[in-house]
Amino acid sequence: MKKMKNLFAIFSVISCLGILIPGYASAEDHTIGALFPLSGPNATYGDIFMSGSDLAVDHINADKMLSGPMSIAYEDSQGLPQPAVVGMTKLVNVTGVPYVLSAFTGVSKAISTLGTRNKVVAVNGGGVGPDLAALGEYFWNVIPLVNLEVRAVMPYLVKEKGIKRVVLIYIDDPFGNAILEELEATLKDTGGELVETMSVPTTAQQFSGIAAKVRAAKPDAVYIASYGAQQIQIVKQLRDNGVDQQLVSYSGYLVPDALALPETEGIIATGQSVNYNSEDPVTKRFVTDYTAKYDRAPTAYNVNYYNATLLYAILAQALEAEGKEVTGANLLAKRQEMGSFDLVGGTVSFESNGTLLSPIQVKIVKNGKAEVVDTIDFGK
Amino acid sequence: MLALQLTITGLQTGALYALTAVGFSLIFGSTRIFHFAHGATFIIAAYLFYFVNVSGYGMILGAIAATAGAIIFGLLLNRFVYVPIQRDEGSFFTIFVASFGIGIVVQNVIGMVFGRGFVTVQTPLSFSVEIMEGLYVSPLAWISMLCAAISFSLLWYFLKYSQMGKALRALSDNPELVRVFGMNPRFISACAFTIGSILVVPAAIISGATSGLNPAMGHHVMLISLAATIVGGIGSVAGTLMAGLALGLAESLALLYVDSQWTEAVTFAILFLFIIVRPSGLLGRSAAH
Repeated sequence: MKKMKNLFAIFSVISCLGILIPGYASAEDHTIGALFPLSGPNATYGDIFMSGSDLAVDHINADKMLSGPMSIAYEDSQGLPQPAVVGMTKLVNVTGVPYVLSAFTGVSKAISTLGTRNKVVAVNGGGVGPDLAALGEYFWNVIPLVNLEVRAVMPYLVKEKGIKRVVLIYIDDPFGNAILEELEATLKDTGGELVETMSVPTTAQQFSGIAAKVRAAKPDAVYIASYGAQQIQIVKQLRDNGVDQQLVSYSGYLVPDALALPETEGIIATGQSVNYNSEDPVTKRFVTDYTAKYDRAPTAYNVNYYNATLLYAILAQALEAEGKEVTGANLLAKRQEMGSFDLVGGTVSFESNGTLLSPIQVKIVKNGKAEVVDTIDFGK
Repeated sequence: MLALQLTITGLQTGALYALTAVGFSLIFGSTRIFHFAHGATFIIAAYLFYFVNVSGYGMILGAIAATAGAIIFGLLLNRFVYVPIQRDEGSFFTIFVASFGIGIVVQNVIGMVFGRGFVTVQTPLSFSVEIMEGLYVSPLAWISMLCAAISFSLLWYFLKYSQMGKALRALSDNPELVRVFGMNPRFISACAFTIGSILVVPAAIISGATSGLNPAMGHHVMLISLAATIVGGIGSVAGTLMAGLALGLAESLALLYVDSQWTEAVTFAILFLFIIVRPSGLLGRSAAH
């Protein structure tokens, strides 16, 4: 019995050491980090992001692209800067990853300094604040930023829908403030007017009072710049409380939870353009396998995190072929050297600020589905 | 007209705050248990109603399931978490931490079972109708206020005139004396949890239809309940009711004077004001000796 106890104690100590010592996994293993909202009101995004990155890992491992199996160490950011910094610190200092998937503007800005200081690449596929293009060379974006979305939708609203007076409801964080700045500038250029702006705290859940103020402002359209459960609550409560004007939002609104809401019908939202019908083998494989694995059609977020994960494998594969160590600095150098990449949607290349440029689509929600009404290609 | 609109909106919000907060206040006042998982009771009731309703069994069965779920959760928590901690002379803080932990567990379990996204109870009752020019009120606003009025009338009658109501009040004053009179404090505590959990059900159901649900909203509910309990006076059901209504009104009417981002801060500004100026709350008794 005593022997059993001793064995159990030794086993426990070894197990604990295995958890605590960085680099416990074998040298050929490839682990990247991910800071996604896995709990809290933004958790719905975590599931969406993970479905893309997990599928990429399946494909990378099935193809034996790397010398060892690849995995993702997920940390829960809750979509908030403070828990994200805690998670990033763990990923950088304990897990020792060279590459981290990031999401949300506030989160990405908060972790970017840690990434730069430790030469760890952070890749954003979900945050759209325009500031994300200026977070240094170790911060990359595989998603077009929201300034392009606002620049795409406002001319459409003014010219095609005759909308002049706009009310903005925006979340009181870096993302919301970025939308405010962009909307003020774009409306001035397009002949529209921002008649009222209302910022809401990230924790707010009651918007019937806001709806009363929106009605009093008599706008032609209401632009909603929030995310997670809150943006859906805003739309529902605006509609329930007699706001029948055109509602407008950005790519973050077009998630399954929002599309399932009857009050979403008729909303105009923007999003990056992805050609799911492309004949290239990467896109075809992604669309086929994603639909088979998750029993639903992929969205741009799934594509972005698939691409971000696949991008790591392409860079690491090239580094391994040259016998170089897979570090953040080497990944950055390799990305700059290779220039373009075959990802879902076609061959893409990064801007000098580390951001991928793609056309923006203006969509309208009809019968729970987003239909494209206009496409604007800023690259042309 | 905007002021009138915001007053009605504030009364609706305040009625829901009051319903949630009074349940917490009753439990805390009677048992001195800091039942932080009261927010979890709210979430359980709301999701059970949602589940039964979307499964096609209708709102009445949904309300019954929500009430049953809330009561069972409250009683089980009291019996298997709070009572053992109290038996081992666990401190106030130990109970708080245990309750906080239960709240997180419930949030995650609800997320696993129902998904972590946003859900809403669809009903035409949530759509506002224009009753005067520029004044929109939904049937659910009247239902909220009616529910609050009925619930509080029944609670007042129960606490004032029934034997158990008197025992609940006595328990908060002097548990030893309750024992001397041959009553069982544990049974009375269970009654406090039952009634406190029932009170949260109307607010949970109405919130599911007006603002929608996500598993993480329990903490916010609890924060408002706590603020209302402190402002109203710890242990004072009537004070908590008034505070809940006042906080809802203040949050809504604040839109007339301050930017929308500060409306939630108004709740906590009122809380701090009371802590500094009148720590015993609206109707609380001074604890100074």
